[in-house]
Amino acid sequence: MTFALWLLMAGVLLLVLWPRHGLWARWKAWRAARQRILIEDALKSILEYTLDHRTDPSPEALAGLLHLPLARAQALVDLLAARGLVERRAGRVHLTDAGRDWAVHILRAHRLWERYLHDHAGWPLDQVHPQAHRLEHRLSPTAAQRLYEALGYPATDPHGDPIPPSQGEIPQPSTTPLTDWPVGQPARIAHLEDEPAMAYQQLLACGLQVGQQVQVLERTPERVVLLREDGEECRLAPGVAANVHVVPAEAHERRMPPDVLPLNQLPDDAEAEVVAIDPAVQGLARRRLLDLGFTPGARVRVYLRAMFGDPRAYLVRGTRIALREEQAARIWVRPLPTAPSPNTLNDEGASPHDATPAQTPNPRP
Amino acid sequence: MTLPRLKPQTRAPKEPQARPLGASFPTPACATCPAAASLAPLGADDGRVADYVVALAGNPNTGKSTLFNRLTGLRQHTGNWPGKTVTRAEGAFEFNGKRYRVVDLPGTYSLLSTSEDEEVARNFILFGRPDAVIITVDATALERNLNLVLQILEITDKAIVAVNMMDEARRKGLDIDTRALARDLGVPAVPIVARTGEGVSRLLQTLEALVKGEIRTHPRRVQGSEVFQQALQTLMAEVEALLPGLPSARWVALRLLDGDPRIIEALRSGELHALAQGQATQTRVQVPSTRINGDMERLLAVPGPQAPGWQTPDAATQARIEALLRKAEELRRGLGPAWQDAVVEALYAEAERIARRVVHRQGQPRRYDWDQVLDRLLTSPVTGLPVLMLMLGVVFWITIQGANVPSELLARALFWLEARGAALFEALGLPWWLTGFLWHGVYRGLAWVVSVMLPPMAIFFPLFTFMEDLGLLPRIAFNLDWLFRKAGAHGKQALTMAMGFGCNAAGVVATRIIDSPRERLIAILTNTFVPCNGRYPTLIMLATVFIAAQFPPAYASFVAALAVIVTILLGIFFTLLVSWGLSRTVLKGLPSAFTLELPPYRRPNFLQILYTSFIERTIFVLRRAMATAAPAGGVIWLLANITVGGQSLAWHIAGFLDPLGRLMGLDGVILLAYIIAIPANEIVVPTMIMVYQNASMMIELDSLQALRDLLVGQAGWTLLTAANLMLFAILHNPCATTILTIYKETGSKKWAAFGALMPLGLGIVVTILVATVVRLLGYG
Ligand SMILES: Nc1nc2c(ncn2[C@@H]2O[C@H](COP(=O)(O)OP(=O)(O)OP(=O)(O)O)[C@@H](O)[C@H]2O)c(=O)[nH]1
Ligand SMILES: [Mg+2]
Repeated sequence: MTFALWLLMAGVLLLVLWPRHGLWARWKAWRAARQRILIEDALKSILEYTLDHRTDPSPEALAGLLHLPLARAQALVDLLAARGLVERRAGRVHLTDAGRDWAVHILRAHRLWERYLHDHAGWPLDQVHPQAHRLEHRLSPTAAQRLYEALGYPATDPHGDPIPPSQGEIPQPSTTPLTDWPVGQPARIAHLEDEPAMAYQQLLACGLQVGQQVQVLERTPERVVLLREDGEECRLAPGVAANVHVVPAEAHERRMPPDVLPLNQLPDDAEAEVVAIDPAVQGLARRRLLDLGFTPGARVRVYLRAMFGDPRAYLVRGTRIALREEQAARIWVRPLPTAPSPNTLNDEGASPHDATPAQTPNPRP
Repeated sequence: MTLPRLKPQTRAPKEPQARPLGASFPTPACATCPAAASLAPLGADDGRVADYVVALAGNPNTGKSTLFNRLTGLRQHTGNWPGKTVTRAEGAFEFNGKRYRVVDLPGTYSLLSTSEDEEVARNFILFGRPDAVIITVDATALERNLNLVLQILEITDKAIVAVNMMDEARRKGLDIDTRALARDLGVPAVPIVARTGEGVSRLLQTLEALVKGEIRTHPRRVQGSEVFQQALQTLMAEVEALLPGLPSARWVALRLLDGDPRIIEALRSGELHALAQGQATQTRVQVPSTRINGDMERLLAVPGPQAPGWQTPDAATQARIEALLRKAEELRRGLGPAWQDAVVEALYAEAERIARRVVHRQGQPRRYDWDQVLDRLLTSPVTGLPVLMLMLGVVFWITIQGANVPSELLARALFWLEARGAALFEALGLPWWLTGFLWHGVYRGLAWVVSVMLPPMAIFFPLFTFMEDLGLLPRIAFNLDWLFRKAGAHGKQALTMAMGFGCNAAGVVATRIIDSPRERLIAILTNTFVPCNGRYPTLIMLATVFIAAQFPPAYASFVAALAVIVTILLGIFFTLLVSWGLSRTVLKGLPSAFTLELPPYRRPNFLQILYTSFIERTIFVLRRAMATAAPAGGVIWLLANITVGGQSLAWHIAGFLDPLGRLMGLDGVILLAYIIAIPANEIVVPTMIMVYQNASMMIELDSLQALRDLLVGQAGWTLLTAANLMLFAILHNPCATTILTIYKETGSKKWAAFGALMPLGLGIVVTILVATVVRLLGYG
């Protein structure tokens, strides 16, 4: 009986004290990880503040960013300072070189994960931030570099924030909040602030996307009315609209000619010429469309509609290619006058050369 | 064989006189010329050192595998839909005394994206250093195909363009000036019809001349914008400085400019250095055992090639490599955002120009476009679904009707032999257990599989291949994509499900056509809800014996076909349901892009279908039956004849499983059969019958009526048992081969276990629910 008791106690002791896998060791590892996460979050917040405000944050501002009571934030700054990651300068918290390197790495890891989760894992936009926030602490700099390469050197995260390159400065595009943008001027969305989540959800619900072209129709203290490039209007509260950052639309983009429409709106059996693939489509999806022959100047014709109405198949360069509605919506085309051919049914392939070589327009000057 | 050769002859007068020798269609005489006579297909590569290595590349569905089969004499599967070949295929042939190794690469539209199949193809062309690349192009869509040709010509100058499907082009009134094409591209171009072999001898002669260096090629290189050219030149100079002697420096520079991870890795690991020194670093096509894991971390953790066959660069070289990579990144930033688009646009513009010069339309095209009529019929909201159902119905009706008679005949013959054999053993005075084990165990297991399972399989498979060759599968995927999108999955999942009808393991491999890892995983995990070849004979048997037997004989086979279709629709329903559930829980995410090419309808090749699907299938089934049914028969006999405490082992096990079985509306014997049948689902029904039979005194069992008497009379089956068994037949763990394939494809034990247990759990829950409801309602 006593022997069994001894055995039990020895077992419990082993369970607790076993090196590396025992409960005590695990608890310590967990504590260390917690502290590292706290440090990394703090560094990242300081960096982001510095980039946004072009000045270092005060401990009070940091406490606000990290949702910590001031006393704990002060203690955290002391800890960071003891490790040589920050120094106090005139009552503000300044990143040292070592602190800045680490912070840039975390920021990079975060934005790379967001890109990955959105583009490759297919996560909804409003859910990538919390997940990336968890994952960013588990990526070594080498692994981050591999992720960067595997993703094809993305320039921005899905919210439009720049991803720091392997070397050199973080590019900071100068953007204007929509609330300060002149009414009537065309603009391109460069960044959608994803915090607070509630406001971000409203932006998504409104159909706004990074890379989209918009125009402010009306601005009052109660509301901001936007015109999206596809002709839809959307209304936002000014507080929410301030989270949309825009840049001037480039000169050639401004004249989106009136006769251009998205491919999904092309009527059945109509023929058109590709004008452009929307800049909002990036990465592999863009390449795929181009590889399939949807290049500017290519002729397309609606060939077939599936049983449930979506997807549709398009004749492009002599082949029938099926696309879903939301993909076709990202290809801008210019409808062509229907060819006076007596047997349109027969006209194999929309490739210009074999059907009507004389009429082929020359799309590129 | 004479028919195809006649064709060029009848066309000969129409051909322009001025056509130079170099590009004319082969005259009939050439079919017997020495060149053709000296082609000796060698089948699968036997590993002997080949004199030359030839790669087959091209767009999907352009006849690469058909040409491969013609050259090597192999029977690589072909089908009229893009993405049929996803695994590697190698073979060999001998021509004029030289051995050629042929590699059939997966079809791709481009080499610029970083999707897996494209990587496989271009890695082999670059790192495998093949002596020649045969690029098959579809003569009816030359412009699209030339885009890829131009890209391949950027990598290698040892290429031949095989202009395939010349028969279709002729039928469409298209005239392809292959000589102009060869001149424009700077490499030889040969018109062929891979299906009939027309032009293949010319292709081989050209190939021989090319590998021997008798033909000098000047491949066309596409220029881009000024800025782009400058950046490319700068980088190319640096690449050449670092890697003197690299054969495709321009292309490597282009890929580095593009930031291609695979090429960067090859540079860092020293693979490109080895290549520059003339070492082929890939002697086989490396089909990556795809690592699909929800978490990118696993992907990142995968190190480069273990112990590469080449030297890793020293520290000084590494520093230069990193400097080169930084230079590439800097140049890329200088090019602005749209330069990659410009590269593709330039390629297509060039392809357009060449196609316009080379393709001429002759005469009037056909009056009526059957393709479009058929497409409208298949995809209209009114007729689409009924036509699809009708086709499925006809296929199963033919299968059921056709399998009836051979099944009975086979059963009679095989069981007659069993009785004779057993009698002979007894007459020889051999011990009873030997007779029992061999004849009533091993042999009987085999006999059941052959008589019950083989006929439906051997009839269904050719019918299915017929639909595949006709080009119906992509239409089905096209139609159903909307449903799959709603379920958060990919429309091409319908294609992989169709492959699952043949074999679930093949269906799992076919999921490689889906790019998005998340959607691919969904397709892998749900493939088992499609009843495979080894399972629908079970459905057919149950439908015939139980459900159809309730109706007058005149309608019996219609009703049976209907019951099978309903079960399959249920399978599709569960596929969608589970896909929907998965994409909202463990595999959370949004549907990705969907692009699918709808190929033209093609007349199926009856003789080949008969061979590949009928004979090959029969041999396959027989072999698998030998491997699984015979041992299973032995095991069942042992279970039935080893007694513990006066009762057989089978009785004990079935008794133990019985409570769960009853709860599910089944019984212990059925569950036992499913456990024994884990290696192969074909043996479920035979096992059940044998266990019941051993328990009863009924030995002779040679008709469906006798089977019904056994199951209803002795085993106490009801309609509920049959219905739930049909449900359980689609909702249970996949067979061992499929589980292993899931493991190989996902590289994860976790997903393999999930793929096995999830359907089983679902099956148990669903059957219990059905049984409970039916019992509460007072039936059953
Ligand atoms: N009419 C005609 N059909 C052909 C010819 N060559 C191949 N086909 C058919 O074209 C279809 C595709 O052939 P495959 O050999 O499977 O094509 P593949 O290039 O291997 O396709 P993937 O493996 O999907 O890349 C099949 O239905 C063939 O029967 C030809 O010369 N003429
Ligand atoms: Mg193939």
